[in-house]
Amino acid sequence: MKRGLGLAVVLLLSAAVESSSTSPPGTPVLLGCRSPEKETFTCWWKPGSDGGLPTTHRLFYERERLKGIHECPDYGSAGSNSCFFNKKHTSIWVDYYLRVVASNALGNTSSDILDVDVMEIVKPYPPENITLLVKEQEGTPYLHIRWEPPLNIDTKSGWVTVKYQLRVKQDNSHQWKNYSSDTQTFLNLHSIVLGAMYMVQVRCMLDHGSWSEWSNTTSVPVPKYFPNERPFWILVSTLSVVPFLAAICILVMKRKSVKQCLLPPVPGPKIKGVDVQLLKSGRSEEVISALIANQNLPPLVAWMDQVEEFLIVSDCNDWRSPDPTNPPKRKKSLIIPVGFHFDQDLLCKEPLPNHWEKKDEIVKNSETHSEGSLPSTDLNQEQQRDHCGEASDRGVSTWTAERHQCAANVSVQPFAISGYVDIQRHMQEAEGTQVDYSRVKEVTGNDAVILEKENVQSQREDEDIPEDYSRVEEVDGDNVVFLQTQDGSCKKKDEHHTDCTNLKMIHPHPSKVGVCAALMGSEYVDTTPAFPAS
Amino acid sequence: MQKVWFTVLILVYLDFSVRVGTVPVCAYGPAGCKVPSLADLFERVIQQSSRMHGMSSDLHSEFEQSLSPNKNLIGKRRCHTYAIRTPDDKENAQRLGREQLTEVILKLLEAWNDPLSHLYWSLSQDQNQDFSYYSPSKALEITDMVQELRDGVEKMAQKMKLEGVTGNTVGSISPESLVPSFAVSFYKRGGLDSVDHHDLLYCFRRDSNKVKNYLHILKCTTLPGLVC
Repeated sequence: MKRGLGLAVVLLLSAAVESSSTSPPGTPVLLGCRSPEKETFTCWWKPGSDGGLPTTHRLFYERERLKGIHECPDYGSAGSNSCFFNKKHTSIWVDYYLRVVASNALGNTSSDILDVDVMEIVKPYPPENITLLVKEQEGTPYLHIRWEPPLNIDTKSGWVTVKYQLRVKQDNSHQWKNYSSDTQTFLNLHSIVLGAMYMVQVRCMLDHGSWSEWSNTTSVPVPKYFPNERPFWILVSTLSVVPFLAAICILVMKRKSVKQCLLPPVPGPKIKGVDVQLLKSGRSEEVISALIANQNLPPLVAWMDQVEEFLIVSDCNDWRSPDPTNPPKRKKSLIIPVGFHFDQDLLCKEPLPNHWEKKDEIVKNSETHSEGSLPSTDLNQEQQRDHCGEASDRGVSTWTAERHQCAANVSVQPFAISGYVDIQRHMQEAEGTQVDYSRVKEVTGNDAVILEKENVQSQREDEDIPEDYSRVEEVDGDNVVFLQTQDGSCKKKDEHHTDCTNLKMIHPHPSKVGVCAALMGSEYVDTTPAFPAS
Repeated sequence: MQKVWFTVLILVYLDFSVRVGTVPVCAYGPAGCKVPSLADLFERVIQQSSRMHGMSSDLHSEFEQSLSPNKNLIGKRRCHTYAIRTPDDKENAQRLGREQLTEVILKLLEAWNDPLSHLYWSLSQDQNQDFSYYSPSKALEITDMVQELRDGVEKMAQKMKLEGVTGNTVGSISPESLVPSFAVSFYKRGGLDSVDHHDLLYCFRRDSNKVKNYLHILKCTTLPGLVC
């Protein structure tokens, strides 16, 4: 009983002692300060024991470049046990020396001094308004994440620069994947899994300060079936393939008629007298002989380089009525130097240029002009060719004086290297005014010839026959020609003209001139040396 | 012997006569080559200052770790650039104006040339193993960086003057207006010990941060179209 009572008294006394003892407050502790935007900052402390008495806490500070001790300007804005420094009271790059003093009736207790430079305590709030969107690009989905900078941050004036960081994870995994975004406020995440749920968090940092807290998690589900246009395109392609295949089938089945339509058979060439089979056999000699036999042509003659041979082509009309007594009206003739390789399709081939350069060439010119220079008319190659074509059809040889129908309306051409002089024929009715020849005075250049001015006027009997020519008196047979004797009357035209008295000896006898083809009663025969007969 | 002298004379003559003058590559403006725009200059300068600040922070934190724990950090430190009046918040910086802001930047950069080279020298001399092995090379790198940044800011200031952005008050800083040469002695005459190193680096970190911030404000007020 006594023991129990004693205990009770002791307990009461201790209680009384406890309740009645007061002490100065315990030491508060400054927890730290933080500036969210580098313009204001807040500091927090933790109070110590209050010592049984109502205790107040006050914050005092000293500042670099500021004299005196100052007290916290705002105790309430940031909550209890905090001190908020607004813009006016905040200076960067200066040291603040802070301390908290707890005071009660019995005394004061001061905390340790905290040294703060606002530059070092910058820690922003997390970014705001994080939105997630599932977008699509070219058939593949991607995640578009967008956010906004935290409140109160002034980026416009360049006072702070904000950097962001993201982390993403799928719903079922524990692993976050970090991404950096320098200063832009969005991010596109391309490698996402369809049907998964994605969770995203963002944080930011100002200048070189501390990272903010991670924002709240935002999540978005990615749909399983992405509504892209692929099925549509598959359908379209399938539908277009079917008629295409059908068309191909039809084409294959009817290929013969298609072939007829698209590639009609080309008629093969047919040459009269030429046997295709013979050609195919490949024996060229037979082919050529077959061809030649058809054409009745003399064989090819070897090229005779130095010999000038002239082809006399006279008016074709005369040929029709070979009446020696009735001299043909028109005696226009063509002299075309022949010294070329005979080809069956072209009677008149190109002479060598040196032929023309010889001064004693004489060109028959039935020109009406009396100027010295040859009028410049173009060589009508085609006309020539036409003549030649006709000539070849009739099988004319080059070395005989042949008349053929192609020599009509031939125009005078300048001397192209590759052509002849084709002489304009003018149907002159006047007798005795025929101008048969003009002497070539000079050949200038490639396509001009200067001729003698004077016309060679002569009657038929007084014709100034060039010395090389003999008149045919009588034609006897296939290869015999009777020539007339020449008299010595010839004018001395020019120096080129040799002595006319130096006549050529006319063969009194019929001589074998060695003409291969039939002479058809031309007026002039060139006394060419003999050549091998066919 | 005479031939030798003759040759020598000829060479000397040639040396004097054939003096190749050096002309800067882009001396002739747009016709010569592409001169960077003001925006480019700003960009480069800001990047450089950012790098500089990063390096200074690293160096400082290295020193902080290496310091003995019983160091009394309460001691109020003073920086030798105390004399340079710098704006200490946003409004003041914006109120200062472009010319003066540029001048402040240049002053700050100029003031750190000597102390940093002294720091490097001191670090390389010091046998004390308080700091990491790489500190002297970092100090040298920072010294070069500061010099380059200063040149860059000067060029930028000239360009701004050329484009009429600033008036003519910004000129080259005359040496007399600078923080006096007792900068090094501000900390300690002779060799700097580790405490001084720490203080110096703390001050430099602060000043590089100032430079970076001021350049940023300058850019955003001068070229408002750019992303800030």
